[in-house]
Amino acid sequence: MTAAPLLQVEDLHVEFATHGGTVRAVRGVDFSVDSNRTLAIVGESGCGKSVSVQSIMGLIPVPPGRIGPGSALLRGQEILGNNVVNGRDVRGSEIGMIFQDPMTSLNPTMTIGAQIAEPLQVHRGYGAGRAREEAIRLLESCRIPEARKRAGQYPFEFSGGMLQRAMIAMAISCKPALLIADEPTTALDVTIQSQILDLMRDLQRETGMAIILITHDLGVVARMADEVLVMYAGEVVEKGGVDDVFYRSAHPYTLGLKAAMPSNRDDSAQVLTPIDGSPPDLFAPPGGCGYFARCPYAMQACEDNHPESFDLHADHFARCWLHHEDCDVEATDVHRTTASE
Amino acid sequence: MRQGMAWYVCKRLLQGVVTVWFIATATFFAMHNVPGDPLLNDRAMTPAIRANLEARYGLDQPLFNQYLIYLGNLAQGDFGISFTQENRQVNDIIREHFPVSATLGILAVLFAAAGGVLWGALTALYRNRMPDYVIMFLVILGISVPSFVVAALSQLGLVTLNTLVGRSLLPVAGWGSVFHMLTPALVLGLSTMAYLTRLMRSSMLEIIDSDFVRTAKSKGVPPALIFSRHQLRNAILPVVTVLGPQIAVITTGGFVVELVFAIPGLGRFFVEAVQQLDYTVIMGTTVFYGAFLVFMVIVVDLLYGFIDPRVRLQ
Repeated sequence: MTAAPLLQVEDLHVEFATHGGTVRAVRGVDFSVDSNRTLAIVGESGCGKSVSVQSIMGLIPVPPGRIGPGSALLRGQEILGNNVVNGRDVRGSEIGMIFQDPMTSLNPTMTIGAQIAEPLQVHRGYGAGRAREEAIRLLESCRIPEARKRAGQYPFEFSGGMLQRAMIAMAISCKPALLIADEPTTALDVTIQSQILDLMRDLQRETGMAIILITHDLGVVARMADEVLVMYAGEVVEKGGVDDVFYRSAHPYTLGLKAAMPSNRDDSAQVLTPIDGSPPDLFAPPGGCGYFARCPYAMQACEDNHPESFDLHADHFARCWLHHEDCDVEATDVHRTTASE
Repeated sequence: MRQGMAWYVCKRLLQGVVTVWFIATATFFAMHNVPGDPLLNDRAMTPAIRANLEARYGLDQPLFNQYLIYLGNLAQGDFGISFTQENRQVNDIIREHFPVSATLGILAVLFAAAGGVLWGALTALYRNRMPDYVIMFLVILGISVPSFVVAALSQLGLVTLNTLVGRSLLPVAGWGSVFHMLTPALVLGLSTMAYLTRLMRSSMLEIIDSDFVRTAKSKGVPPALIFSRHQLRNAILPVVTVLGPQIAVITTGGFVVELVFAIPGLGRFFVEAVQQLDYTVIMGTTVFYGAFLVFMVIVVDLLYGFIDPRVRLQ
């Protein structure tokens, strides 16, 4: 891969100044995503997934938020803290975004059609009539029946799944190069979830857009993602191709997430195992590994020494001391280069 | 949908008529229970007038008959003749003086609504910063200081100002030109404006952090459009809801302001009629004001249906 990636995020930091002190929500996150690829960001609530992408989209209120240091390059152009590139807002035109709760994410006093037409009018300068026709076409492409009639209706007349389709239609209206989906299926029931994911996938095939998918559902990850970024306490703890992360998990937290996932396989005798405890207090992030207090393989060294990231294969790394050459802890389920080679 | 709308309007108007009938009935019997006699006041009443009035309104008849006669006249739109102002039709009094009160009231409501929405939105956008603190301090003053104090103070201020400049910038009292209307309308609308500012501020603060505003930002909608199309439109809904009752507050509060500013509105007749137990004028002004307010509340409700698509008028 010689060309620069579509979106390259490096060393992203986000903090929030609150009455109780400064919350260091994102602490040095790197990732990149390319056209036609899907990057999944997983992790439990409060680990900085949403904050990372919202800071890139300029959706973090500043103050109390504070963004930086770090950079987010879209086709080589810095967009962190400045969403206007070449006199045009990249939000809505180059990057589309959909959110967790479609019921509250749409303006209750505007028709669906008008809300889908809005980015076209803002970014492309379409007239009202042309934007409306395009909105109807977009609704059809997002498989909403009776699109013409539906475009004139208000959000309260839609079901949750239909609203999320309308959100997608709105996000892709200007044919963005990147679609960010922040837990797009969390608020929907399972059958609808599946349809929404199919829709996103098909749209990606048609348009070649990149997708960043934020979720805590590993089933969704397995189905959609090309690459996976596992976040914990504001940091990336493991990153790699979807097969690497699933079948050659190299961080105890990833294993913990997998063990906490329900399975419906007949031969599986496994019991759902939650990860004990809760993530560390990000008012005062631990000096060592953030997962120390909950990790079954925690060593003395983990408490005070911040783990380096260890490369296991090309494009697969984990931030865990278990991969250090001097480590002699027995951890059979953690995939280690030393063990496999 | 159109048909549902027409049916809704008819239903509301019918309910309004029942409300007005109730107001008329309650006022009628309350009024007749007040001790005293409208024909026994300080002025000597000629026997001719007394006989004339008694014959026309049947004051010698049982109360219930009087009530039926009154309702009959009311249904024909006849409020009768004033008891204390010889040969003066109540209808004429209303026709002459109500437009003055209505102009003042509507101007005050416009001031209050426009000011409340503007200041409320401003304080929300400047939350916890200097403009917010200053405006919210004035809001508390506006709510707690009664209108006759504000009226007197504003007159004092105008007099001082006019003296300083050496000519009359704005008239201190009276009625006639647009300039006469400005100060009393502002004074009359002030407490409502303060109340609406507070309401608008809290409603706007809720909207600013809402998911759909975040969505609009993620679409790259310019801030001015986000403000007008996404924030203001939704934040204004609770303000419209209280506008109906607030119109009532303003029109009833108008009596005091009319008195202080020597405005020939209907309020003076209303108050004087009660003092003099002028039955027909009391009934006329009360029923008329009641009908006006009922009508305004219906108008506001219909307006709400247009602003908020979730409200289905049926």
